Amino acid sequence: MEAWVNEIFIGISLASILLMVAIGLAIIYGTMGVINLAHGQFVMLGAYGAWLLQTQYGVSIVVSLPVVFLVVGLVGFVVERTIIQRLYHRPLDTILATWGIGIVLEQLVRNVFGSSSRYVARPEFLEGGYIILGAHASSYRLFIIFFSLGMLAATWYLLFRTEFGTKLRSVIQNTEISECYGISAKRVYALTFAYGAGLAGIAGALITPLVSVTPTMGTSLVVDAFLVVIVGGVGSLVGTAASALMIGEATAWLSYVLNDTTGRILILLGVIVLIRFRPQGLFPDTVRR
Amino acid sequence: MNTGFKIDCIGYGLFAAFVLLVMPWMVDFSGYELNSYARYLALGMVAAALALSWGTAGILNLGQALTFGVGAYIMAMHLKLRASESLPGGMPDFMGWTNVEALPWFWQPFHSLLFTLGAGVLIPVGIACLLGVFMFRGRITGVFVAIITLSLMLAVQLWIISEQRFTGGENGITGLAPLNLFGWSVDTYELSFYYLVAGCLLAGLAVGLGLVRSKAGLVLRAIKADPERVRFFGYDVARYETLAFATSAGIAGVAGMLYALVLEFASPTYMGLSISLAIVIWAAVGGRESMVAAALGGIGVNMAEGRLSDLFFDQWTLMLGVIFIAVVLFLPRGIYGLVATARDYLEARYTERVAMALNREQDDAARPVADRGEVK
Repeated sequence: MEAWVNEIFIGISLASILLMVAIGLAIIYGTMGVINLAHGQFVMLGAYGAWLLQTQYGVSIVVSLPVVFLVVGLVGFVVERTIIQRLYHRPLDTILATWGIGIVLEQLVRNVFGSSSRYVARPEFLEGGYIILGAHASSYRLFIIFFSLGMLAATWYLLFRTEFGTKLRSVIQNTEISECYGISAKRVYALTFAYGAGLAGIAGALITPLVSVTPTMGTSLVVDAFLVVIVGGVGSLVGTAASALMIGEATAWLSYVLNDTTGRILILLGVIVLIRFRPQGLFPDTVRR
Repeated sequence: MNTGFKIDCIGYGLFAAFVLLVMPWMVDFSGYELNSYARYLALGMVAAALALSWGTAGILNLGQALTFGVGAYIMAMHLKLRASESLPGGMPDFMGWTNVEALPWFWQPFHSLLFTLGAGVLIPVGIACLLGVFMFRGRITGVFVAIITLSLMLAVQLWIISEQRFTGGENGITGLAPLNLFGWSVDTYELSFYYLVAGCLLAGLAVGLGLVRSKAGLVLRAIKADPERVRFFGYDVARYETLAFATSAGIAGVAGMLYALVLEFASPTYMGLSISLAIVIWAAVGGRESMVAAALGGIGVNMAEGRLSDLFFDQWTLMLGVIFIAVVLFLPRGIYGLVATARDYLEARYTERVAMALNREQDDAARPVADRGEVK
């Protein structure tokens, strides 16, 4: 019983991390069709931001989140304005350009901070944990689970309950007509990209106590997040959440029953089969395209 | 003989001259650097293989390094068995350390050189055929192909790392014997080895160009432009796509075998994410539409890396990233696109002038003889 609950909790915890990284990616891919391979590097920037704020100014992770969000969002804004904007009519080429951006960001961080791995302490009030149904749940992981759900809710609110969200959805459905109504598609896209990047930054800051912070940490994260987005279905927030939960739980259980590596191999193969038979994803967005 | 084929032949001829004469001449036909140059050629070959599936048929294969790595492992397995002949059971040393009882069955056939050489081509082709049928029968395109090929490559890489007892794991297969090719003991620092690699590269390119300029190649280019329309004409799109995908895999397999020979080891990093995307970078910089241009891209970028990374160390990575972004933004067809545009411009100028000259002649002919200025 306890082992069961424990594995379920580990799965949810993994899923929450995946979800945090994937939401930003899902927004960018779902709205603009841009395959942002630099997303992992945005996460990495967020992680370094949190580390810098903690070591230099003694700021706790939770307090550093708004700063990280704004700074990484700004980086995303600049990247969109200078590079991505020219590639909207060639979506496959965005894979190449964003990979290049990723290389550049990674090397810049390595230049400034070196390539040794850094550690960030979790906030004091989130030390310790609870016993839930006989399984140990650390408070920090619980915090991340709730925070990722909060991010999901905030994104949903932004898309469906604000003026900006309405504009964004109208631009996605028909750019020309939206522009006739006075919406600047360029501006909407740039802000959306910046928002996605900012979310990646927050995700990066929050996972710092759980992983080691290195310049190369982004690469493996972006692959996982991409699988989540594709499996979930393009442009579907619910799908992204569901597939994050599925992949997180599957990872936890397969690693428990078999081992980490075999579990990951099976997940990759499972994703391949899923994409082959359901390329539109688990929860395709029926409105778009 | 159409113009496209003629231009291909000229490009191929120039490339052959560059690879066979200019490159070895740059290092005076001898010495340590020939080994590095052979390495560049092997990498150029895998870039050309990617251009075959990506540039011709529009299949962006982000797992190209899978077939490349498989080729490298196949070659390394053969050479490792050669090197382990004196060890107990003829087993590679890493198997001894992990208490493997006997040589596993799938290692046995690699004692044979002929089997190894055949397997190095056919196993990658087989993998690509299976994967191709699996994907293309389901009409998977674009980014989904990229994700599937990438995921499969990562899965195989993980498997190789985890099965250390049989594959050498993270360390890969090291301590290889030199290749003995039908009585010729290959020294990877010699000119003859360089020419072996160059010969394989040129042969691979010839196979690829043959495919591109055949009727199947025409169908493939049509598929790249609009698969739906080709399907309406009654062509089996999946079969053609699989053909391009498998040919590309075969060429990549040979490139992998050569790469393992040059570096004298095989490692799981050969089928990693970074090298796979690097292959895409090389092909994109050279020009994805032409295999020769992509091969030059691979050779050029790696040669520049060899030279510049000594000068700039890590900053080379930064420069590569910037160059790559610039190429994607401003030269979407790569350097080949630049050449092609220049060629088209000159051709247009030429036809224009020919037309003008013809017109003048006709005008002259129409006028009475007495009006012609040049008549004396």
